[in-house]
Amino acid sequence: MTQEMEFKMIVAQYCQVKPEEMKEDMRFREDLGFSSLDFMSFLGELEDTFDVELEEEDALKVLTIGEALELMKRLQEEG
Amino acid sequence: MGKLIRDILEESVERFSEITAVKWLKKKEVLERSYRDMMENGVAIRKGMLAEGFQGKHISLIGTSSVEWIESYLGIITGNAVAVPLDAGLPEEDLIDLINRSDSEALFLSPKNQGLLLGILSSCPKIRKVWMLQEDALDISEEKVASLADLKAEGQKSAEDGERPAPEDVATIIFTSGTTGKSKGVMLTQSNLAENVISVDYTSDPGTILLSVLPIHHAFCLVMDWLKGFSLGTTICINDSLLHMVRNMGMFKPEVMLMVPMMIETIYKRLASVDASIPKKAVADQVFGGNLKIIFTGGAHLDPYYIDQFAEYGMEVLEGYGMSECSPVISNNTVAVHKAGSIGKPLPNAEVTFENGEILVRGSSVMKGYYKMPEETAETLRDGWLHTGDKGYMDEDGFLFINGRVKNLIILSNGENISPEEIENKLALEPLVGEVIVTGEDNGLTARIYPDQDVVAAKGLEEEAIQSALQAFLDQYNRNQPTYRQITGLVVRKNPFIRSATKKIKRQEALIDEPLPTA
Repeated sequence: MTQEMEFKMIVAQYCQVKPEEMKEDMRFREDLGFSSLDFMSFLGELEDTFDVELEEEDALKVLTIGEALELMKRLQEEG
Repeated sequence: MGKLIRDILEESVERFSEITAVKWLKKKEVLERSYRDMMENGVAIRKGMLAEGFQGKHISLIGTSSVEWIESYLGIITGNAVAVPLDAGLPEEDLIDLINRSDSEALFLSPKNQGLLLGILSSCPKIRKVWMLQEDALDISEEKVASLADLKAEGQKSAEDGERPAPEDVATIIFTSGTTGKSKGVMLTQSNLAENVISVDYTSDPGTILLSVLPIHHAFCLVMDWLKGFSLGTTICINDSLLHMVRNMGMFKPEVMLMVPMMIETIYKRLASVDASIPKKAVADQVFGGNLKIIFTGGAHLDPYYIDQFAEYGMEVLEGYGMSECSPVISNNTVAVHKAGSIGKPLPNAEVTFENGEILVRGSSVMKGYYKMPEETAETLRDGWLHTGDKGYMDEDGFLFINGRVKNLIILSNGENISPEEIENKLALEPLVGEVIVTGEDNGLTARIYPDQDVVAAKGLEEEAIQSALQAFLDQYNRNQPTYRQITGLVVRKNPFIRSATKKIKRQEALIDEPLPTA
């Protein structure tokens, strides 16, 4: 499974949208119906799954799937 | 009658001296404090404040849960001072307003919120001292600023201790959303708090592990996680971030937790997403750490569906009901006596009656009033009865049920009470916003906006451009707000809102978007 698909599988736990139907410009709260706590829990799962450490303040600025993927990639590159 | 929180704590220290009172994470290391050491720190803070002339004064606290925060809180309320816990997530202007309106003369400030310091010092003229909630040396040199370590050192060398407060003295002021858009400071006395701690029917063995995940400035967390927990000799573990709640459950392995319904809903999504072939016990051990048996919930109504679902994972979910004005618990389901869908039976110190369907409460945990708000106090407390703003009924077995709201507050499933007017007033400052009503839906807030037609015409905006401009404005607004006050839905209306004969928008008809009938 690609990393992007693994990421989308985590997103899918919190909403009714299937991974293959997810688009980069979809917003977590507005389009996917995440509650504020769903989003926090999701970020925690990303940390555990992809072994990255998120700065809470930066992570909470993320609005869309594309932005979250980009943040993840950047953190992994920074190592 | 007449017990103080100080009495309860002193009894706990005597009985549970060597038991761990608080555990917390620093980086990845787990640190802990015993009951004896915690109380010694609390006493040093109390004596230090007395030595600096803060006896009887109002003292604000800004920060998330930490051992330093709670020791400072205990230092304040076991003396003769009044603690004012504030939501660290609020915008700076709101915090300054609350510090000023509460007449606070000193402040305990978390190092994470150090960015607020200069604004507070320049805009809160009554503040004489700020203690940073840290043991390390300060990296700021301001005459009015010292560290918690400095304050404790001063207290440790002082022989004089603060007088015991009287049961009727105000111990704390907790701000809660007001229906007029201005938050109100709920004054709770020593006796109000102590009676609530004593009256909630729950007991556990000393050293029972509790994971505290709610915001500490909320009455539910402050009184039930912390003060109730301390009365039983509980070991309270601090969840350092909501990002890590599940990870921390695995690490601390709590036996009991207090949650708001939104947390239960979120955790359920994770439970339900696990492959159905894995035994539920194994899933529960993985997600909850293996020891969790009881979840107390309150702050908003929980769909009883979750109670049944969690039972399948071996978890008992017990719902209660309360509000800051009642210190906060009014009724709760207990391990022995519970009924799903109800909010339990009233506490022994709470008398409940109904007026036109509204729940009224009287008893020893009902607040003294709202700080410097006599009109709001008179409106809420009538003939000794507190008007809750909730509609409900009691069944033949004495269980209380809620079935609506009288007052115009949005109760989100994270337990936050939102005053829509407060947000509407801020959104209305944007020129493109002609009329706006904020509603609560799907666990979040939706702004229903009728664009200002003059601005639309002047700029020649089409439908899509209006939507984008308003969304961009909301994104900007959200950036400065705590998550629970962010607007997550936008509905651009085609027609103005329906208004009453007195020209007020009819809030209950806000979802109708039809052309107004011509006169």
